[in-house]
Amino acid sequence: MKYLTIALAKGRLAELSIEIFEKIGLDCSEMKEKSRKLIFTDEVNKINFMLVKAGDVPVYVEYGAADIGIVGKDTLLEEGRNLYEVLDLGFGKCKMAVAAKKDLPPSALSNRNLIRVASKYPNIARDFFQTAKGQNIEIIKLNGSVELAPLVGLSEVIVDIVESGKTLKENGLEVIEDICELSARLVVNRVSMKLERDRIMDIVNKVRTIITQS
Amino acid sequence: MKNKKIHTPDGVNDILQQECAVKRNIEQKIAAVYKSYGYFEVQAPSFEFIDVFSGSDAQDLIKFIDPKGRVLALRPDITTAIARITATKLSHTPFPKRIFYIGNAFSDHHAYQGVLQNEFTQAGIELLGTTSLAADAEVIASTIEALLDAGLKDFQIELGHAEFFKGLMAQTGLSESIIEDLRDLVDRKSFVGIAEVANAHKIDPQLKETILNLPNQFGGIEVISAQKGIGERAQKALDEIVEVYEILKDYGFEKYISIDLGMVQKINYYTGIIVKGFSSGMGFPICGGGRYDNLIGEFGDNIPSTGIAIGVDRLMAAIGEQDYKATADTIVCYENSQRNLALKLCSGLRKNGVITQLWVDDNQKAADYAKEYEIGGIVFVKDEDAIEIHNMQDGTIAKTSVAELLGGYEE
Repeated sequence: MKYLTIALAKGRLAELSIEIFEKIGLDCSEMKEKSRKLIFTDEVNKINFMLVKAGDVPVYVEYGAADIGIVGKDTLLEEGRNLYEVLDLGFGKCKMAVAAKKDLPPSALSNRNLIRVASKYPNIARDFFQTAKGQNIEIIKLNGSVELAPLVGLSEVIVDIVESGKTLKENGLEVIEDICELSARLVVNRVSMKLERDRIMDIVNKVRTIITQS
Repeated sequence: MKNKKIHTPDGVNDILQQECAVKRNIEQKIAAVYKSYGYFEVQAPSFEFIDVFSGSDAQDLIKFIDPKGRVLALRPDITTAIARITATKLSHTPFPKRIFYIGNAFSDHHAYQGVLQNEFTQAGIELLGTTSLAADAEVIASTIEALLDAGLKDFQIELGHAEFFKGLMAQTGLSESIIEDLRDLVDRKSFVGIAEVANAHKIDPQLKETILNLPNQFGGIEVISAQKGIGERAQKALDEIVEVYEILKDYGFEKYISIDLGMVQKINYYTGIIVKGFSSGMGFPICGGGRYDNLIGEFGDNIPSTGIAIGVDRLMAAIGEQDYKATADTIVCYENSQRNLALKLCSGLRKNGVITQLWVDDNQKAADYAKEYEIGGIVFVKDEDAIEIHNMQDGTIAKTSVAELLGGYEE
């Protein structure tokens, strides 16, 4: 039997995914040990697990280097890959939103022809402002601490993930518009889904049962 | 040099000797199968006025402007050009007509982040001028045979039907834009997204159940009988799939066939049976196509047709390593005084099918070169009656004459 490969986004999503996989009877013990290994194997069920950076999960799955992936909806939207997006796992819930300084007068946005938007998610930002709203924007791609940008005058607004809103609040920012809801998704390679239908759908259906129970 | 861009642009590649030999070999095998079914080749231009490709996403076309200021585009597929040719040049000739093509098509995948090929080779067939399901089955069968002959073992050809989704949607009464959203969600097998959209609208419960289950409706032929309450139009689509499946059974190819009712092609011109092929170890489809009964009408007389294209580069990748070497069989070395004789010998060997390279450098270097490229032997021409054949595999040297060497081939 061929090994199925599952790519997990490193961090919290991977931990929650492992919990679910253990509930459906997969052996994730190797992954819980502290090691520098990149591939972990469940020999009984013939499954390989890989821990990769969130943004790489859709890439591995699209190319078929992984058959299944678990990754946030934010990453899927940003990467725009051609995948089957089969399940909403319901955890890792948060939202993508536009935020600005609390004291920013509305005229500061409406009077501007060009709004500067700082974000780790240039594609999502572009899609929201240009395609959905027809607004001219300049995207400033940052790799972290996006909240800084409006504070130092680098941009008028930011597009970022908002969980509790605490970071925004502590930095005098607030959400001015929601873009979409986010959560973890189970994605499947288009070819694997067909060639390994029974094994993949078995995992999908079992995971679905677990998440609808909880 | 530092500022000169001499690497290839994104998405295009050089194909070097070895790989090229393998690729041509595959193309020839595919072409031989197509020809054996009575398909004959046409060549279409690599670029046309952009208007010809109005059915494709303009964003993905590679465009340029001619000196008169008209916008041209590299062809994103070859079927569209065949449709234009059929409508404008062949519509008065008898049908059905069988055409095959092998050529490169171009698409700008830049907007889409994957490192995909922007130039790719397609080998395909079109069966023009008939609505018969036997035609749909034939293009599928000949594609399967071409894949097998090319050396692919483990693959699946999946059948769907453009009218199934359209028929279901027509019954829901949903607006065009919501249907487009649903098409995209069905294409991504997004159970959640489909449920969100379906639950937000008033749809007949049985029909809704069918739509919610769409992402799950793939596998063997048995998925067909599981569909209920789908209405006449979608039912007709299912009947057609079953009929094509039955024909393919008679070809003996049913083991390669599976069904996906959730298959919705992004190319909008499909009207009937649609097809996609998969192989393990290749994350993308290796072939695709289907029935397009209205496309040719956009260029003139409407002529119902069906066709499938194989992605040759993907097929090559799916087949994997091949034992097919781009290397000569023999090298002929000669002393300057024996040039005339050496050329005669080369010509004689070539006529007998031996790939022969004339050595055009220092004779001392020939042996190392032959070893490096795994060339079977070196022939040293000293004079008419003294020829040495150095066997590079076992290191033996045989002495013979030109007449004897060439005579050996005649027997």
